[in-house]
Amino acid sequence: MVSSVRPRLFGARVARVEDPRFLMGRAKYVDDITLPGMIHATFVRSPFAHAEITSINVADALNVKGVIGVRTGRDLEGVVKPIRCDPVPIHPTWQTSAADAIATARVRYVGEAVAMVLAEDRYIAEDGAALVEIDYDPLEAVSTIDKAISADAPLLHDGWRDNVILKTSVSGGDVDSAFAEADGIIKMKVRTNRHAAIPLETRGTVASYDPAEELLTFWTATQAPHIVRTGIADHLGMPEHRIRVISPDVGGGFGVKAHLYPEDLALAAIAVELARPIKWIEDRREHFLASTHSREHVYDMEVAYRADGLILGMKSHIYVDCGAYSVYPWTAGMEQGMAMRILPGPYRIRNFEAQAWGVVTNKSTLGPYRGVARPSACFAIERAMDRVAHAVNGDPVDVRMLNLVDGSEFPYESITGLTYDSGSFKESLQKVRENIDYDEFRLIQRDARAEGRLLGIGVACFTEQTAHTTTEFVKRAAPIIPANETVAIRMDPSGKVTVHTGAHSHGQSHETTIGQIVADKLTIPLKDVRVLFGDTQTTPYGTGTLASRTAVLSGGAAMQASGQIGERLKILGAHILEASVEDVELEEGQVRIKGAPEQNIEVAQLARFVYHRAEKLPPGFDPYLEATGAYDAFPGSGTFANASQMAIVEVDPETGGVTILRYVVVEDCGPMINPTVVEGQVQGGIAQGIGGALYEELIYDDEGQLLTTTFLDYLVPSTMEVPGIEVGHLETPSPFTIGGMKGAGEGGAIAPGAVIAAAVENAIGIANGVFVDEVPLTPERVRKLVVAAAQVRGSDR
Amino acid sequence: MKPARFRYFAPTTIEEVVSLLAEYGDESKLLAGGQSLVPLMNIRLSQPAVLIDLNRVTALDYVTKEDDRLEIGALTRHRAVAESKLVQERFPAAAQAAGHIGYPAIRNRGTIGGTLAHADPVAEMPCIAVLNDCEIVATSSSGSRTIRASDFFHGYFTTSLEPTEFVSSVRFTSRPASHGWGFSEFARKSGDFALSAAAVDVIFDGGAVTQVSIAIAGASDRPVRAPLTEAALVGTTLSRSEIEQAVSNLSSELDPPSDAHASSDFRTHLAQIMTERALLAAAQSER
Amino acid sequence: MSDSGSEKAVIRLQVNGRELEGVAEPRRLLSDFIRHDLGMTGTHVGCEHGVCGACTILLDGDAVRSCLMFAVQAEGSVITTIEGLGQTRDDMDVIQRAFWESHGLQCGFCTPGMVLATKDLLERTPMPTDDQIREGLAGNMCRCTGYVFIVKAVKAAAEELNARASVDG
Repeated sequence: MVSSVRPRLFGARVARVEDPRFLMGRAKYVDDITLPGMIHATFVRSPFAHAEITSINVADALNVKGVIGVRTGRDLEGVVKPIRCDPVPIHPTWQTSAADAIATARVRYVGEAVAMVLAEDRYIAEDGAALVEIDYDPLEAVSTIDKAISADAPLLHDGWRDNVILKTSVSGGDVDSAFAEADGIIKMKVRTNRHAAIPLETRGTVASYDPAEELLTFWTATQAPHIVRTGIADHLGMPEHRIRVISPDVGGGFGVKAHLYPEDLALAAIAVELARPIKWIEDRREHFLASTHSREHVYDMEVAYRADGLILGMKSHIYVDCGAYSVYPWTAGMEQGMAMRILPGPYRIRNFEAQAWGVVTNKSTLGPYRGVARPSACFAIERAMDRVAHAVNGDPVDVRMLNLVDGSEFPYESITGLTYDSGSFKESLQKVRENIDYDEFRLIQRDARAEGRLLGIGVACFTEQTAHTTTEFVKRAAPIIPANETVAIRMDPSGKVTVHTGAHSHGQSHETTIGQIVADKLTIPLKDVRVLFGDTQTTPYGTGTLASRTAVLSGGAAMQASGQIGERLKILGAHILEASVEDVELEEGQVRIKGAPEQNIEVAQLARFVYHRAEKLPPGFDPYLEATGAYDAFPGSGTFANASQMAIVEVDPETGGVTILRYVVVEDCGPMINPTVVEGQVQGGIAQGIGGALYEELIYDDEGQLLTTTFLDYLVPSTMEVPGIEVGHLETPSPFTIGGMKGAGEGGAIAPGAVIAAAVENAIGIANGVFVDEVPLTPERVRKLVVAAAQVRGSDR
Repeated sequence: MKPARFRYFAPTTIEEVVSLLAEYGDESKLLAGGQSLVPLMNIRLSQPAVLIDLNRVTALDYVTKEDDRLEIGALTRHRAVAESKLVQERFPAAAQAAGHIGYPAIRNRGTIGGTLAHADPVAEMPCIAVLNDCEIVATSSSGSRTIRASDFFHGYFTTSLEPTEFVSSVRFTSRPASHGWGFSEFARKSGDFALSAAAVDVIFDGGAVTQVSIAIAGASDRPVRAPLTEAALVGTTLSRSEIEQAVSNLSSELDPPSDAHASSDFRTHLAQIMTERALLAAAQSER
Repeated sequence: MSDSGSEKAVIRLQVNGRELEGVAEPRRLLSDFIRHDLGMTGTHVGCEHGVCGACTILLDGDAVRSCLMFAVQAEGSVITTIEGLGQTRDDMDVIQRAFWESHGLQCGFCTPGMVLATKDLLERTPMPTDDQIREGLAGNMCRCTGYVFIVKAVKAAAEELNARASVDG
């Protein structure tokens, strides 16, 4: 074999091709779009968590100069179907909810849209909104999981048995025997509080209807433009070829922009009605109130362990706060299913049972957020690991090592039915232990204690299902199965390439990484490849960028499609060079005779021939260079990335303040297309996880009022809260995917809650009955733990 | 959301300001740095009919000294206060506290007069103002009067200013050479509002404390002094044990409110810790 | 008619070296004026309450929140927005280039504000320590990067600027 002299782009730390437009301020986000005759919308939102709407008077609003119209839910009746997102097939315990595009009779969370005001500009729209008079008949609010499942709870939805939208369970092995044989059993209850993705750009839409073309063009900040198009079509009864969704540059998503929102439907319907472009940009307060929330879980667990720390069995009751409605197309069951089945994590737990309740409350609807349930499940299992280590007087790292699935066991079928295809669970833990100088830290910690400083170290391990497709989502009873991603590639007469993907890129760097794959395959420079996305009119149908799927699935599809083009170039090149196809190769942007590289023809020359010199083409050679690849990473159960994360923290025992001194990760997402990009994803995920560990919490009061509606109340970490993050890599290829690739988007965000909790617990000095069982670890919560630990030890401060 | 409509005036002299205030008084708001007012206007929690913008009244932007007095004009930005050599020399606690406010871009705009008039009970400069009971100069068309900081703050976002008055400057008494000071603040996140902050000012005579003042933010609906704790410290040498002893009774003179971010008990506890830390810093000063 | 009748005013100012004017009612935020009236959409809006820093511009040389100012207040002022820095790959500012080379951005939404805050920081503190960089940028939220590569970019930019200064000097 002649090896390529051209260095491969796959694996190279290439600077991003998309950066210049962002750095120059020339990117186009949805609020940067202005159309002739465009009007502006704002929503009047419910101030009550739970209420009947008794009357709406829009007369004063309509009198404001510049207000063009006001629409209420009644105006959309018969035009827009409510969002009812049921699993397919419907689970026997499932109860159906219906979210109006604009509420008609009843509101179920503070911030639910009750009217839309349209005006010449947003300022005037707000003037009008202030004058819309709405009378409510308040109902008792259900603001907590406990209240939702209490016997006398008010029901959110008429005709329901209770407030449980879905009850599921999973079990395997022989739990009773495991508990009978155990040397000890720990009962514990842990909680993760409500978080949200909080991209820096809020949601927003410009909707424009052209009655001549009968075409709705819908620019919107979404991760999933095709799903939004189908959602609009399904709910408005419009054919999809008359809807063009364009998702331009998007200022972060992290899951919260990966689904259909009621506002989308209202804007689409009213844009069609008025045939005037309408812009709506969500403000930050609206984003807190009415965009989806995540991760509010309670785990009631029992863990049976052997004296050496091996976990023999586990039982768990899981409660997930689903907010008011079922999100389209993921359903309200999206977190509990994941939580239940990933709870054992990377650990070999063979006797297991879990029951999960999804409960509705008068809060904003549950939706996906980076890690989907796994930050909570990881927190639960890792808290259990530390409890077991403490109970057996073992080292937390050693106890984990004892329980981790070994490399020899892959593919490993978990007790909950997940297939872990490959990984480096023990190796990553071993390496992170070395990278953080674990043994040396124990000495530093002891010396610091002697000075009265509380240092602590924490660890967590996880495995992350990525790029899962058909079999997995059929199992989840998803009404829309995110299967393959499809990529269409065209080479033009100049030999340059455009790549059209149905996925998206809003920070993930796909313009670069997919470009790297295609450029490698065609042996052309990266600058000769443009990756395009976000326009349903020009890209193949795709689920979108979510669930850590794009690099693997769109990357795989791009590899296939560019391979097809490469084969056609070789056929043509061989014809021109008067050689057989077997005797030529594609190298350095040329088709060459193997072993005689001086006999060659440039790809650009071949491309020119294809389009302009038909007489040079071999018989039967169609005169185009286009190919489409579709890839679903068969068998579709997903490829599992893994990582171990450790952190060293210092706790101020007086204030309860926590400072992260070091954060060290060893991750394994298989072969990396671009290690710098992977590191950026990991660091960004960890920063969000640190937010959930220490700062971020959506707090509702008993009446269902959200108390955290600004960045002064919902605290997103800044440069001062996120430390330097040291990322190490392992690269275990997946046997299931092209190139052995695994997803890397969500992983960073999964473990920090568990890591920081463990480190804080370790710093405080774990004492009987004083365990960290809740995040975020606010100063007051930490201080309470400090006081409780001191009381157990019998001394204060 | 977007701000509601208002009439806008941009006076350039103090005379114009007071005449506008005389005319519009109650229905007007003064716009200084805007770092607190504009967020409230942007969500329509504040909807003044008339906005009087002080930013072109350059005569309000100064730091001067006269005898033992340090005077800071109302329009002086936090960054200028923090970086002023004069403030650092004569009232170092004020310089340090100003450097704690928000973020650089906030300090570039926010003003000392604005933050005092806004009277946020967790803000830094009101806490500094009550520390040595500074004089706040209130000006109206009928002239200027000085209001002691102890009389100025009336509760959440309320002051003793008349609707026709505005804060034109603030006067501190320069600290003597033999003074010690400390400022300590705890916020959940850097640049965020303090859960608790304490400023202390101590005068020594031959190593012993002759006079001490303690101001605390985040422990009430306004910045407060702690007279009992102050009294307990007079005559001490400000040793760690004396500080701990005195501060242990601080809770008896505080009754902070609870909110989503901290309970009353925790705020009390934090006030103790911040006071203790500020006192320990003061104890390090040269005597 | 509920129309309070607040008059629109002509606003003249210098933006990125060009004398411009626009018309706005007093309540119009400077961020909206720059974005939608002057058409320079590189300045972004992330919260409209002064915390996120996406709308950071330089006003008479100082980094400020354009969402916390009314456009009328900017009459006569000198403003730099991201469009005032390099607008081609070849004339990119040192800071822009450093962010590019250090992977200091992902979705790009915070980037203009971050770059301008960096400019303010490096003008006041030409050779900042990591801590000074972190303090200087604490008011600019980024939800994507975790800041690690941003800090690296700022450090690289500072080094480059200092190297140039010493050559020039």
